[in-house]
Amino acid sequence: MTEASGVRPTVAAGRPRPTVRSLLQSIEVDTRLVGMIAALAIIWIGFNVLSGGLFLTPRNLWNLSVQSATVAIMATGMMLIIVSRNIDLSVGSILGLTGYTMAMLQAIWIPTTFGLGFGQPYTWIVALIVGLVLGAAIGGFQGFIIAYGGVPSFIVTLGGLLVWRGLVFEINDGQTISPLDSTFSLLGGGPSGSIGEMASWALGILACVVIVLTLVRSRRQRRKYDFQMRPMWAEFALGLFGCLAVLAAIVVVNSYPWPEQLARQFAEAQGSPWPEGGLKIPTGIANPVLIAIGVAMLMTVLATRRRFGRSVFAIGGNPEAAELGGINTRRTIMLTFVLMGILSAVSAAVQSARLNGAVTSLGTQIELDVIAAAVIGGTSFSGGIGTIPGAVLGAVVMQSLRSGMLLLRVDSPIQDIVVGTVLVAAVGLDTIVRRRSAR
Amino acid sequence: MFNRRLVALASAAVFAFAACTTGSGASPSRSAAPSGAATSAPSSAPSGPATAGCTVGVSWNNYQEERWAKWDEPAIKAAVEAAGGTYVPADAKSSAETQLTNIENLISQGAQVLIILVQDADAIKPAVDSAISQGIPVIAYDRLIEDERALYVTFDNVEVGRMQAREIFKLVPKGEYAIIKGNNGDANADFLRAGYEEIIGAAVASGDIVIGGRETYTDNWDPALAQTEMEQFLTASDNKIDAVLSENDGMAGGVIAALAAQGLDGKVPVSGQDGDLAALNRVALGTQSVDVWKDARELGKAAGEAALQLCGGTAVDAITGAAPFETPGGNTVSSILLKPIPITKENLQVVLDAGWITKDALCQGVTAGSVGGC
Repeated sequence: MTEASGVRPTVAAGRPRPTVRSLLQSIEVDTRLVGMIAALAIIWIGFNVLSGGLFLTPRNLWNLSVQSATVAIMATGMMLIIVSRNIDLSVGSILGLTGYTMAMLQAIWIPTTFGLGFGQPYTWIVALIVGLVLGAAIGGFQGFIIAYGGVPSFIVTLGGLLVWRGLVFEINDGQTISPLDSTFSLLGGGPSGSIGEMASWALGILACVVIVLTLVRSRRQRRKYDFQMRPMWAEFALGLFGCLAVLAAIVVVNSYPWPEQLARQFAEAQGSPWPEGGLKIPTGIANPVLIAIGVAMLMTVLATRRRFGRSVFAIGGNPEAAELGGINTRRTIMLTFVLMGILSAVSAAVQSARLNGAVTSLGTQIELDVIAAAVIGGTSFSGGIGTIPGAVLGAVVMQSLRSGMLLLRVDSPIQDIVVGTVLVAAVGLDTIVRRRSAR
Repeated sequence: MFNRRLVALASAAVFAFAACTTGSGASPSRSAAPSGAATSAPSSAPSGPATAGCTVGVSWNNYQEERWAKWDEPAIKAAVEAAGGTYVPADAKSSAETQLTNIENLISQGAQVLIILVQDADAIKPAVDSAISQGIPVIAYDRLIEDERALYVTFDNVEVGRMQAREIFKLVPKGEYAIIKGNNGDANADFLRAGYEEIIGAAVASGDIVIGGRETYTDNWDPALAQTEMEQFLTASDNKIDAVLSENDGMAGGVIAALAAQGLDGKVPVSGQDGDLAALNRVALGTQSVDVWKDARELGKAAGEAALQLCGGTAVDAITGAAPFETPGGNTVSSILLKPIPITKENLQVVLDAGWITKDALCQGVTAGSVGGC
């Protein structure tokens, strides 16, 4: 999170005054991120009260984490695209086409067309790789037209939205493809598609170690180059807060046990008798969430620690200056679209595995959720501003609203009204705050 | 500058043209390339009197949906051409405005009778009115047009709802129900719901069946959304759901995926309709209880034959099989209502015999001999 603040223009910081804001700035925490976490907390507590304590149960939070994963994965890429002053409207259709292709591969092409049969050990990985390559190729093709052809991204990807969705129908007359390969389905989560108790703890502790090491390393670097350092208490507070948040999340996912029916099936398969008090198998982190976290970490490194990411932000901040400064802007822009295509394919794998099938409407209108998540997460349409953790949090906020309202049994038109209002209100508020702090 | 623009335009045109030709080459059933034919082809069809075979114009609202291209169109085409008639299609691509233009085009191409799958039942009215006043009869295909002079040919959607509810009610006469409805504002979603009410209404009133707010519309009949809805229903009621009425097969797939995550698939009865191949496979596997199957070929055939009769001058209410139908708008239209067939694991042979699905697709993953047909 601290890395993220590094990419924001420091001009906006202004003279420090003795306020909460300046305090947060002195320990270099992204105020917008803190604001979002606060907003999320309000949403969660509000839904918990309204639903009579149903929202903040391990089961619902676990569901929420899985439901948010697809949009979160794509929002990280969309953030970079918007930062570079472009837009990608085709991600839903790319998701549809890559998801449909992967499903066709494992349900029809590999088993029947090539006559290799169902349930081969390599089916899932072949399908996944083909999907990712296809996603990269589609993204690269669009990116090429945008970057080298000079056609506005809005137009190219609007065309893509129509073309790729049309292709889905052409592949197999638009039939539903189901069921998928049993190994591939594990990518979609569910109790058997989760990593279990021990692995979750191991990951949590590893994350803690990484947080602490990052803080130590960053402090050392700052001392070495004679940069201003955070006060010592702030370092401790950050480390403690980060670790506690991670471990709390692990406790939550581990206190959601396998559903009784599945646990019974498991006990039967093991040949062990059903225990008196029931069998409690902790579920742990679901695979889609693991994938989303992995993607977010990779993307953070890419966006803030690699030349590519810095170029994207430079282009978004001032395209002419970036070009004159020796950045290969065209190549960079094209690469952002390649990346977006790959991320769409990753989401496609998760989404189709979760549904255990591919339908022609797979990913329809998800581009709107993805763009909304990136924007709620503080990505600016005027370019140059945005963070990966923000985009992921934006996705969680969107999904929290949707699942919370479903839990309260709010019908879908009202849900749309609420989500739309929140989107505009969040960005509006952000703009006002930013304008004020810039003065 | 001018030259370059010209080149770009020309190459775009070539590209579009190439796309059209490959499209028609790849799938013979689409040889007419609907939109292109409707907008740019010169009117080659004879516009004389009905004696020399009838020209039937068909306006599709959205040809991209699997069903129309694969089942309905070939059936209409076959019925029309068997009687020496000419079939002229046009595709509105989900646009109500395009559909209005298409209908004018079809008339100028010499259509003597129109079959219309409407995009927007209200927006289409002026076009229908103008066609009928020019002496061109109109058939409302699958979706209602509120005009007493048009013939309505469809499956009985309320009956589909009744059939779904009947099967589920038979399995779970008492208990907690969840209802996953289709798109809000699609009249069919409410027709189906009305069918449910006729079967389970009394049991709901007496308290044997509890819905308790577990009822929702689903934007665009989206299966992934239906899955999330079902997950939240299961969370909210701590898995105490005994039966699910899902209005179509796609959403049933999402519901069953959510049930499977709780180990409840095959234990909680789920309904559906459309005869999706994946859904029929689920019926054979036992995870879906009923799939109400509407043989679209029957519907296409009925419409094609009705069109020929109308062409020959038969009045709308004198068409074979037509009966008066009270519309929600209070009109009485002449209509042909076909009966769908509920498919359960008892009668899977029906879809096999009809050639709707192959045995391989139906029985994938099913233990041989565990259900009839596999």
